[in-house]
Amino acid sequence: MSAQAAPGDKPLGQSPLASVLPVAVLFTATACFLLPLWYLFVASTKSQGDLTTTAGLWFSDMQFGTNVADTVTRDGGIFWTWLLNSLLYAVGGAAVGTVIAAMAGYALSKYAFRGREVVFNTILAGVLVPATALALPIFLIFAKVGMTNTYWSVLLPSLVSPFGVYLARIYITSSVPDALIEAGRLDGAGEYRIFFGLVIHLLKPALVTIFLFQFIVIWNNFFLPLIMLTDRKLFPITLGLYTWNSQALQDPTLATAVLTGSLLSVVPIIIAFLMLQRFWRSGLGAGGVKG
Amino acid sequence: MSVQTANRATAAATATPSRAQRRSERRAIIGFLAPFGTLFLLFYLLPIGYSFVRSFFVTERDGAFGPARDAWGGLSNYAQAISDPALLSSVGRVLLFGVVQVPVMLIIAMLFALILDSSLARLKRFFRLSYFVPYAVPVVIGTIVWGFLFTPGLGPVADFFPVDFLGDGWVLWSIAIIVTWTYAGYNMLIMHSNLQAIDRDIYEAAHVDGATNWQIALRIKIPLIRDAVILTGVFSIIGTLQLFTEPQVLRSISTSISSTYTPNLLVFTAASGNAYNYAAALSFLLAAATAVLSFLFLKFSERWAQ
Amino acid sequence: MGAVLVAALSLAACGTSGPEPASTACARSSGKVTLSFWSWVPGMDKAVDMWNAENPDIRVELNAVAGGNQGTYQNMFNALKANTEPDLAQVEFDMLPSFRLQQGLRDISKCLEPDAGDRFIGFAWDQATFGGEGVFAIPQDTGPMAMFYRKDLFERYGIQVPKTWDEFRVAAEEVHRKDPSVYLTSFPQRDVGWFEGLAWQHGASWFNTEGSTWQVSVGDRPTTEVADYWQDLLARHLVTPLQGFSTPWTKALADGKVLTWISAVWGNSTLSTNVPSTTGKWAVAPMPQWSGNGPSAANWGGSTTAVLRGSEHPYEAAKFALWLNTDPKSLELLNRSGGLYPATKDGIELPFLKKPVEFYGGQHIFDVFAEAAGQVKGGFAWGPTMTQTNAALADGFGKALAGDATLTDALAAADRETQTAMRLQALEVKIR
Repeated sequence: MSAQAAPGDKPLGQSPLASVLPVAVLFTATACFLLPLWYLFVASTKSQGDLTTTAGLWFSDMQFGTNVADTVTRDGGIFWTWLLNSLLYAVGGAAVGTVIAAMAGYALSKYAFRGREVVFNTILAGVLVPATALALPIFLIFAKVGMTNTYWSVLLPSLVSPFGVYLARIYITSSVPDALIEAGRLDGAGEYRIFFGLVIHLLKPALVTIFLFQFIVIWNNFFLPLIMLTDRKLFPITLGLYTWNSQALQDPTLATAVLTGSLLSVVPIIIAFLMLQRFWRSGLGAGGVKG
Repeated sequence: MSVQTANRATAAATATPSRAQRRSERRAIIGFLAPFGTLFLLFYLLPIGYSFVRSFFVTERDGAFGPARDAWGGLSNYAQAISDPALLSSVGRVLLFGVVQVPVMLIIAMLFALILDSSLARLKRFFRLSYFVPYAVPVVIGTIVWGFLFTPGLGPVADFFPVDFLGDGWVLWSIAIIVTWTYAGYNMLIMHSNLQAIDRDIYEAAHVDGATNWQIALRIKIPLIRDAVILTGVFSIIGTLQLFTEPQVLRSISTSISSTYTPNLLVFTAASGNAYNYAAALSFLLAAATAVLSFLFLKFSERWAQ
Repeated sequence: MGAVLVAALSLAACGTSGPEPASTACARSSGKVTLSFWSWVPGMDKAVDMWNAENPDIRVELNAVAGGNQGTYQNMFNALKANTEPDLAQVEFDMLPSFRLQQGLRDISKCLEPDAGDRFIGFAWDQATFGGEGVFAIPQDTGPMAMFYRKDLFERYGIQVPKTWDEFRVAAEEVHRKDPSVYLTSFPQRDVGWFEGLAWQHGASWFNTEGSTWQVSVGDRPTTEVADYWQDLLARHLVTPLQGFSTPWTKALADGKVLTWISAVWGNSTLSTNVPSTTGKWAVAPMPQWSGNGPSAANWGGSTTAVLRGSEHPYEAAKFALWLNTDPKSLELLNRSGGLYPATKDGIELPFLKKPVEFYGGQHIFDVFAEAAGQVKGGFAWGPTMTQTNAALADGFGKALAGDATLTDALAAADRETQTAMRLQALEVKIR
């Protein structure tokens, strides 16, 4: 949307306060929202001693290089392992999860069969079941089959995105014309070919939305890896930093590692997110209410 | 013509499919549903069922240190849960939290969505993105950083405000600050997207009728994005009842967060204490309560819509 | 949905939740052996390297985990449940009963010589063997307590080093009179182990078993007396409720606002690391005593090396655990890197503990702790749900510090919550 005055809005200059106040509010809010990230940035440049003695919001002496070196080499370079694990769980998990959710949404949208609505409503009910309520029984089930503390034990549950199926179904229903599918069938293409070759190209915004949504869900899923994983080499970055943070009382040098590590892991995500957020918005918008 | 209209036309025009066509369609349905369906069965339905079944068992043992066995306990886990003071106080706490934090956050989100939607704001993209950034930060990391901010001597927030953020009276609201920081921008974005989809001619008509921008906001915009507000409301309620990550991460620096601070912390504590059957009962109760509350909220907001 | 329930029922039904009790036989393994070991002591890797270099056939692999109460005990219990536990684990003394209750510990008495226990300090061996029922862990380090005090500020305020708790109270009054912003010591809300040590010193006995019934008495007479004593000091503002190990607490120490810290031997490095500006000004004296039955001391903390239930090489694991905690080179290494104070009678007499410590004005501080180690009473047992007991005490202390209750109320609450937690574990338990 452009910043020009849109038709229907009152002309500017009606009241100076009315035009200044909202902007002031917005700027103040921006400062509040970005404050923690600014603090994170500043704090990761400080040495451990300076953390407690210098003002929080401005730099002292620049130790960023040292801090980064310390963070990535500590404990045998486990920081890299943690980052790669997170990539596996979150990117891998969300990617596969998106594809299978789209497939399920497609089936529920474009094929009529008995019990379709029951299936859909069951999946929808799944949206209301929080991941934390499932973590404990999933752990107990994996314990029974002796598969706790493995990559699969965190990855497999992460592939399930009921909300993704819901989004996919709505989006497909409203954006994929039956005529396209019919045309494909008339051309002799198989059902899978139609989906993966034709339909999926129309789904890009929805796919990105589902991917980002599931990515965030997996990223933020703390309870499951917390009770499932005991081997530090399997931890995602969130669990790894949490572990370091809990030990910071005994080992104060960990504070800088935690802060620097947080910065290093957060910056790429933020950048990726900002680049992709327009997809996400248009995807949600299409599935949302029209005026 | 919208896709739906076109689809109806196509359906009318298409001949009924052949037998072979239907067989291949059936195979396709199974094929498309199977991957998600199997995983959904394994990691949603089965765990809920397992949790449900486990909740009817209790633990028994002989001797002071004897091995434990499971025995049928009927509803005793549930009876114990209902009279468990730890559970009751944790539920009360999250309800209090929810009643305050969710409306405040949604109002903030709505306010900013409305401001950004009006042309009074320049630099819209910049503001939108900066409010959204916290959502991209993993909750664990965000809480760790806020923990530093709240620690006297380390964080500017603690040093600037004369409040003991991590102390008994305030820590719940410090958690509320963290949750609001994380999700307000996300909720705002949802509302804003929906606002942007509204046909602006409606506003022009309203202006012609003499409505002020305020009245347009209250009477037209908000009702039109009702669904988005409801959606964000439901997810916020679900999130509130599940509160776990923020208090758990802050436990290492705040002495005021007990091991049973929120219902999920209680589940975690029970499981850590190896009282798995009781933890399963609690887990199930929590999931059921969340579902019921969300459902009620949806029903209630449907009535608002009328 | 029906299919799901059937599946769930069959999953729940197959197998009981507890395994067979661990066999007490101790067979040697043949060939090369690899042992997994979870520990959080800094520098443990060097000790393990030392062992591996001298014992090529018994290789120990260390998993450097977070502290026990920072989630590692939870992980260990989960591992036990999933049968993926390591061979050896670091377990603090107060957690041994919890592990034993979950059938996690292996009785290695048959893996050791009958007199192996003589090497260890009395109370440590007592707790590791549950009063002689079996050898469930090898003591690693202990935390005998004494009083760290600011020698220079004692002189300034004209305080004599208090030898009894009565004298301690008088000294607190004196200090507070001379300067209301200065306190003799602090009362930490969350250092429950500190309070447990104090109760232990006075003869408390919180957990006892009579046959298969447990008796809980956190609020027994000695503990109540200790609680009342401190309640009095708190009510009269003679001690400050700062939380130990916190930034405000270290700041108060640096500023000379808190004059003493009754703490364990490992606290000596806490002070020197966190309050370096006060070097040379501290000294160590024995804990104040209750008048009555001879000198007694207290213990705070300490841990063991336990051989866990599922280990397939108990003989080798026991051998390593014994070496780790008795070999002089290992003890010196663990002391230097990890700040561990030995649990063996010979260990506390080793040369590296006989040196003067500059932070304490050149005093041979470890002599004080060695004497204290010998004075710690035996017969103090921990309960099988110490996590909950400690949490209840900490929460109760919090209320007391806020003025909403007394410390004695916290004891009663701890009794009740311990009983609830133990009943959840299907134990028969009475509050005495």
